[in-house]
Amino acid sequence: MKSVEPYLGELEQLILLVVLRLGDEAYGNPIREQLAAGAGRRIGRGALYTALERLEAKGLLRSALGEPLPERGGRARRYFTVTPTGLRALRQTRRVLLGLWSGLESKLGAV
Amino acid sequence: MAAIDPPRLAERLLERALAATPYRDDILGDLRESYDAIAADTSPARADVWYRREAARLILRYGWRSVLTETRGRDRRHSGGGHAMDRLFLDVRFALRALLKAPTTTVAIVLTLALAIGANAAVFGIVDALLLRPYAMPDVDRIVMPVTTSPHWGAMAGHRETVSPADFLDWRRRLAGGTIEQLAAIEWWNANLVGRDEAERVPGFFVSAAFFDALDARPALGRLFREEEEIPAESKRVILSDGLWKRRFGGDPAIVGRPILIDAEQWTVVGVMPAGFDFPMRSQLWAPLAFNDRTARERGFHSLTVIGRLAPGRSLDEARAQMRAINQRLAGEHPDTNRELGVEVYTLSQGMGDPGVPSVLALWQAAAMFVLLIACANIANLLLARAAEREREIGIRLALGSSRSRIVRESFVETILLVLASVPLAIAAAWAELRLMHSLMPARIARFVAGWDRLGIDAWTIAATLACAAAAALAFGVLPAWQMARRGVADALRSDGRGGTGPGRQRVRRALVVAEISLVLPLLVAGMMSVSALTQFHTSWQGYDPTGVLTLRVALTGPRYGDPEARRRFAATAIDRLAAIAGSRGVAAANVLPAIDTNARRIIEIAGQPAVDPQNRPRVDFRAASAQYFEVLGMPLLAGRPFRDSDQAASEPVAIVSAAMAQRFWPDGRAIDQRVRVADGRWLRVVGICGDVVHDWFEGRVPTLYVPLAQEPPESLAFAVRTAGNPSASVADARLAIARADPMQPAYDVMPMRQVLSDRTISLQYIAGVMGAFAGLALLLALFGLYAVMTFLVAQRVREIGVRLALGATGRDVVRMTLTQAARLTLAGVAIGTLLAIALARAMESGLLGIVSSDVRTTGILAAALGVTALVASYLPARRAAQVNPIDALRAE
Repeated sequence: MKSVEPYLGELEQLILLVVLRLGDEAYGNPIREQLAAGAGRRIGRGALYTALERLEAKGLLRSALGEPLPERGGRARRYFTVTPTGLRALRQTRRVLLGLWSGLESKLGAV
Repeated sequence: MAAIDPPRLAERLLERALAATPYRDDILGDLRESYDAIAADTSPARADVWYRREAARLILRYGWRSVLTETRGRDRRHSGGGHAMDRLFLDVRFALRALLKAPTTTVAIVLTLALAIGANAAVFGIVDALLLRPYAMPDVDRIVMPVTTSPHWGAMAGHRETVSPADFLDWRRRLAGGTIEQLAAIEWWNANLVGRDEAERVPGFFVSAAFFDALDARPALGRLFREEEEIPAESKRVILSDGLWKRRFGGDPAIVGRPILIDAEQWTVVGVMPAGFDFPMRSQLWAPLAFNDRTARERGFHSLTVIGRLAPGRSLDEARAQMRAINQRLAGEHPDTNRELGVEVYTLSQGMGDPGVPSVLALWQAAAMFVLLIACANIANLLLARAAEREREIGIRLALGSSRSRIVRESFVETILLVLASVPLAIAAAWAELRLMHSLMPARIARFVAGWDRLGIDAWTIAATLACAAAAALAFGVLPAWQMARRGVADALRSDGRGGTGPGRQRVRRALVVAEISLVLPLLVAGMMSVSALTQFHTSWQGYDPTGVLTLRVALTGPRYGDPEARRRFAATAIDRLAAIAGSRGVAAANVLPAIDTNARRIIEIAGQPAVDPQNRPRVDFRAASAQYFEVLGMPLLAGRPFRDSDQAASEPVAIVSAAMAQRFWPDGRAIDQRVRVADGRWLRVVGICGDVVHDWFEGRVPTLYVPLAQEPPESLAFAVRTAGNPSASVADARLAIARADPMQPAYDVMPMRQVLSDRTISLQYIAGVMGAFAGLALLLALFGLYAVMTFLVAQRVREIGVRLALGATGRDVVRMTLTQAARLTLAGVAIGTLLAIALARAMESGLLGIVSSDVRTTGILAAALGVTALVASYLPARRAAQVNPIDALRAE
């Protein structure tokens, strides 16, 4: 029996969380900066867009174009938001992780 | 801040590369934003660098992805056929994907191809440089070389010879206004150049005034020679090569008109040739070829090389016809000397080329072709194996309505991609091989190989490489394509999981392995023949001891040494000086030392044995040798006494004969005290018999007459210094010793005798090296091919083997079964290969004129060795077959 929620890779998880945190400002550059600053993950631009594309294809992210901006050479920003499916997937992942973590405090020491 | 734009080209390219992704504009926009920020923080230039790097990364990532994944999208759009270019792109993408799915096979194929095509390209590069276009002069095809021929001269050289001065002058007179213009003669000249530095022997040539015009060459400085300078009184003029001018005279433009010292005489420099002009044979110095009244009438002594230029509108055939007519008249006018002489007109490339070179190159090209054929068989096998693995996929596509032509086309596109990937590697390999060959040739020999300095990769070689690659693509691409398209849909889809094991398919694959093995054996035999000929030359009996001997040469030319007494004095002084250098254990001098690249022959007469045929009097090798000659060279004295210091000009004329000479003229063994003379010279009394030496391997032991150096002081002297240690260590001392004996007399070819010997076999070393390399490469490829095929066959038969094992067969039975299969292929290959090897060995023997010889034993041993090696290569797959677990094998489906 297949799980309803798609499996989230570590990078995917991080990206979803970053997009949630950024709220209205979640487009390419800030996402990449936050990943580096907040999670210590420096990833190539190509890798980021590929991941975003995949997340959108999976239905975990949704995107909408803003207004064309002169400082972008007349191009619009694409803002990302996490879909309800994405939120469910994040919650599911969190639950699974917490479940796995619990009871291991003695072995792992103070976290 | 003024608005600035990111690098336009990078942006454009990026736009292209991102065409496939829906985020194209977003990515470009994000980049643009960051770009502005970086430009503001640092500098626009830095931002440009950053942008380009970022763009390059993205292009790499998306460009690659679009090639590999976009196919599907396009496929949908153009499923109805579409534009031809689109279809081609589609095929290329598809083929790339297929090749990248099996990277190991792809790399193996590309490397195999690169090595095999590279070998062919390298050989073609040599053919191109040495045979087709050895010279790069303007209109080189119009430069011709008339030569004298005689049935008596060596067949190896095509019976051709140099021309006598009187014949040349007659040709020139009678050709005036005819088919050949600018007729010019060339004569060898080793000039002893004395100047600001130490004396030096410079390779030069005496040339007629028309020489430079015949070659269409102009001086960089000064002028060329004039016709009035072709008489001895006016001929002390020289033209310098660019290299000599810069090296010895500091590139001083005022050199023109100044005298320089050659052979202790003053010669006036009249011109300097431009860089790159060094015809013939890396010449560095030219002087007018002058005849005096006596030499102008000389017809018996052939010393000249003649060149000329075809008159406008005249053909080589017309020139030949006219030269024949002239020759016929000369034969009538001078029957004594010219009756048997013929004439031939070559192009410059034919005439200057070594007549032995074409057959060697033909052999190499044939060997390279063999290697390529083996490689093609290998690749065809690999592709067949892969086609078999993809049989299901192709079956499904056929069932879904894909056309057969489409599948064949894809297979061909794969082939073409493989070939295209290998061509640059092949050219790089060929370039490296040619560089290696070029660097291994000693300069003193390279100058005699016309075109050697042109070895390299040029447009012709690249074109030939592409043609060769295309032929290879056809050779190995057709089979798999045909096999792929031939299979029926039902066949392919039958799910027995044994794609590619149908009897027809297996037969093809086995035939390819048999072909590979049968092609390897001839190469192995040819390689072995060359290598063993070489080792034989190097290890066989020479008759003297060349180890630990330093040799050097001196040419006593010019008026200072016109008198024999002067030459005798020089020889004596030089021997004393050389004997005094550190580590010297004895010094010998002679006109010719064993194995050096010149010889001296004389017609002789034996007292009491008048020549039967006056036209064909006995000729022997002639040596004027110093007192310690035999001792220093380690030659045994078989009877009588050696030369002594007391054998002087005024004392009794004596001679020592070699064992072969004694045997030939005094078979009763009583040579001592008999009399012999050179041509019409003084009678000499034989005082000793010495051992034979091998001067030239082709001739073996030649009857040789030795006379005391003091009684016959030669113009050309060679010294042998036996040293206590490494002879190379004494080179500088030896040069100095000669300079002390006469500061104007340069020593040349100062090198260990071992080196002299090695240089004599340089062509054989090249033949052996190249043939050995080809044989090794071929063997490697064939073994790899056999291994791969056996592995594949075993893998395809896993189920059958499983059944056998389950039914009680032992692992040993399975090994035996697999090895039997391999042995059958090997045996068939070896049998065919033996026939091919015998044919090739015959061709080599006649083509290389006895340098190499074949024997049945070697062929047999190599055949057996090849068979055993092939079985070893198939043992691994056989072992693997025996370790099959029957349960797994049966469950595999």
